[in-house]
Amino acid sequence: MNDIVIAILRSGTPLIYVTLAGVIAQRAGVWNLGLEGIMIIGACATILGIMLTHSFASAILIAILFCVLASILLWFVIEKLKANPIIAGLGLTGLGVGGTALAVQSIYGSQASVNAPFGVPKLGPLFGSYGVLSIFVALMPFVVVAMWVLLCRTRFGLQLAACGEHPFAARSIGANPSRMRLIALCIGGVLCAIGGAELAGGSLQFFAQGMTSGRGFMAFAAVIFGAAHPIGATLAALFFAVVGALGIRAQLSFGDKVPHDLLQALPYLATIFGVWLSGKLRGGAKAAAGFAELRDQ
Amino acid sequence: MTDRLLSIVRSLIFVAFALVLCAIVFQFAGYNAPLMLASVADGAFLRPGAIEQSLRWALPLFITAVGVGISFRAGFFNIGAQGQFYVGAIFAAFAAEWLKGGPAALVIPACFLAGMLGGGLWALWPGLLKLRSGTDEVITTLMGNFLASLLLIYVTSGPLKDPSGSGQQASSRPLDAAYRISNSLGLSPTIIITAIVVGVAMWLLVNRTAFGVLASLAGRNGTMVRWQGAKLWQLGLSSFIISGALAGLAGTIELMGPNGRIASGFLPTHGFTAILIALVANLSVVGTAVVALFFGGLASAALYLPVMAGLPAAAIDIINAAIALFITARSNVVDKVLRIGGRSR
Repeated sequence: MNDIVIAILRSGTPLIYVTLAGVIAQRAGVWNLGLEGIMIIGACATILGIMLTHSFASAILIAILFCVLASILLWFVIEKLKANPIIAGLGLTGLGVGGTALAVQSIYGSQASVNAPFGVPKLGPLFGSYGVLSIFVALMPFVVVAMWVLLCRTRFGLQLAACGEHPFAARSIGANPSRMRLIALCIGGVLCAIGGAELAGGSLQFFAQGMTSGRGFMAFAAVIFGAAHPIGATLAALFFAVVGALGIRAQLSFGDKVPHDLLQALPYLATIFGVWLSGKLRGGAKAAAGFAELRDQ
Repeated sequence: MTDRLLSIVRSLIFVAFALVLCAIVFQFAGYNAPLMLASVADGAFLRPGAIEQSLRWALPLFITAVGVGISFRAGFFNIGAQGQFYVGAIFAAFAAEWLKGGPAALVIPACFLAGMLGGGLWALWPGLLKLRSGTDEVITTLMGNFLASLLLIYVTSGPLKDPSGSGQQASSRPLDAAYRISNSLGLSPTIIITAIVVGVAMWLLVNRTAFGVLASLAGRNGTMVRWQGAKLWQLGLSSFIISGALAGLAGTIELMGPNGRIASGFLPTHGFTAILIALVANLSVVGTAVVALFFGGLASAALYLPVMAGLPAAAIDIINAAIALFITARSNVVDKVLRIGGRSR
């Protein structure tokens, strides 16, 4: 039982951090499909940072720096250049996936993956069999609660929601929607950096090209499934992680009978199910907001 | 300047901007950026034989992008062209396998139909989910892409596995030479004619039929179309299926033309590039043809880059992504410059 909980926490924690990044962006009115790209930048920067500086603290700072810069780039393109958020987000994802691959190739030759000597610090023997988990796993519940307080119980959080839902009304009470979105995306950048660091350094200690393999998009689906509420979206992300962990478990116990590619498909199927269910329960999400502008110009 | 021309020029300005930005980044990463830009131009259009190579990539991209444009016009953000492309190729490969030994004149059209059916089916379920329960199609089609590439791995390492194949990449058994519609260079009368037929048919569909007009209106204002008595969900579902079928057709062409087999990790960014093409062309069919040539050039230059500028082929993915980042930008500054240019003309 312990090991399956550990497996779920390991695969769920990166997803939850990135999901929270998506929640804050969504509340501010940005459909952030760049999560995947920002997350992989965080993963790559952490491992390369460890290789270059031999210190985890400086590596995570480097990762946060790059992820915040990527978030600012996305904000600039969406807010200042009035680009369509979905296409721009997909572009940022492509830049992240391609750029990290190029960075690894240009530093380490044609190597497909980079192994670091150590990863994120672990909890240690004090926690018994859970000591193999990283500090980010232990930090995660506090971050979730902090995000809930920030988004649902503070003046800032309510102003942020107003900026997302009705920018005009937000402006009338003196909030600046554009600046609020910048702040939201930057907080999201920090969260994506932690999520990426946990993915590459939590239980593993390496970076491989394209290693996020759709987790950023799953996080985005968790945001939709969880109605952009920090707790709801966290539970949705946890659900995807449970399905993924059960898939791996099933693969180990009867992998000969079921093709393992089908078991690998489980998290994606769970994502589709989650989005379908949330559409059923709450009516269609306001899909592709800003689509009309894209066409009519 | 007319509005349509204006928007294409504006898009091209941002494409150029993205290219320059990439060049600066590559320069910092330690590559020779001027050489890179020169070899992109060289590999795309200037080198002898480059035009043919660009056309080879442009034709399947054009077919896919026209399909993407159809669903975008109707207001559906179908970004699953990549998955529909894969599933089309898989269906066509199965059809070719089952009909092995039949006359080519029968098998080739059957494979084309199977490919279109496969792509159409892979677009049908997100369409149904969208129209029946309001499930956001951006996520379902994205997840469809991941599922389709898993399906491709499964098929090429399972039912269609080439037993003689070795190495890391699983691939299917090669197609009989009789069923190939082009050699490995990938340009033949069959492919060109197919692309022309698709282009003309879609132009007629969009500009000269009630369906095209209503679908475009539905994309702008669904309520109005419903008041006029059109069945919104029929329009929507048809445009999903058409866009999927065209992506599947492009997959079939890649299978039966230049590739001759399907392999896992085959043509990774086709669907994504097609979305860019449709957007740069502002969803017009004629525009798509022109813009597809440009991106076809970029795709063919991708194969040329490692040789010339020492860049990994992934560099083209980065260029495409940078273009995507900026392609829908509508900067007031650029607009002002363009308007002034238009007035003084």
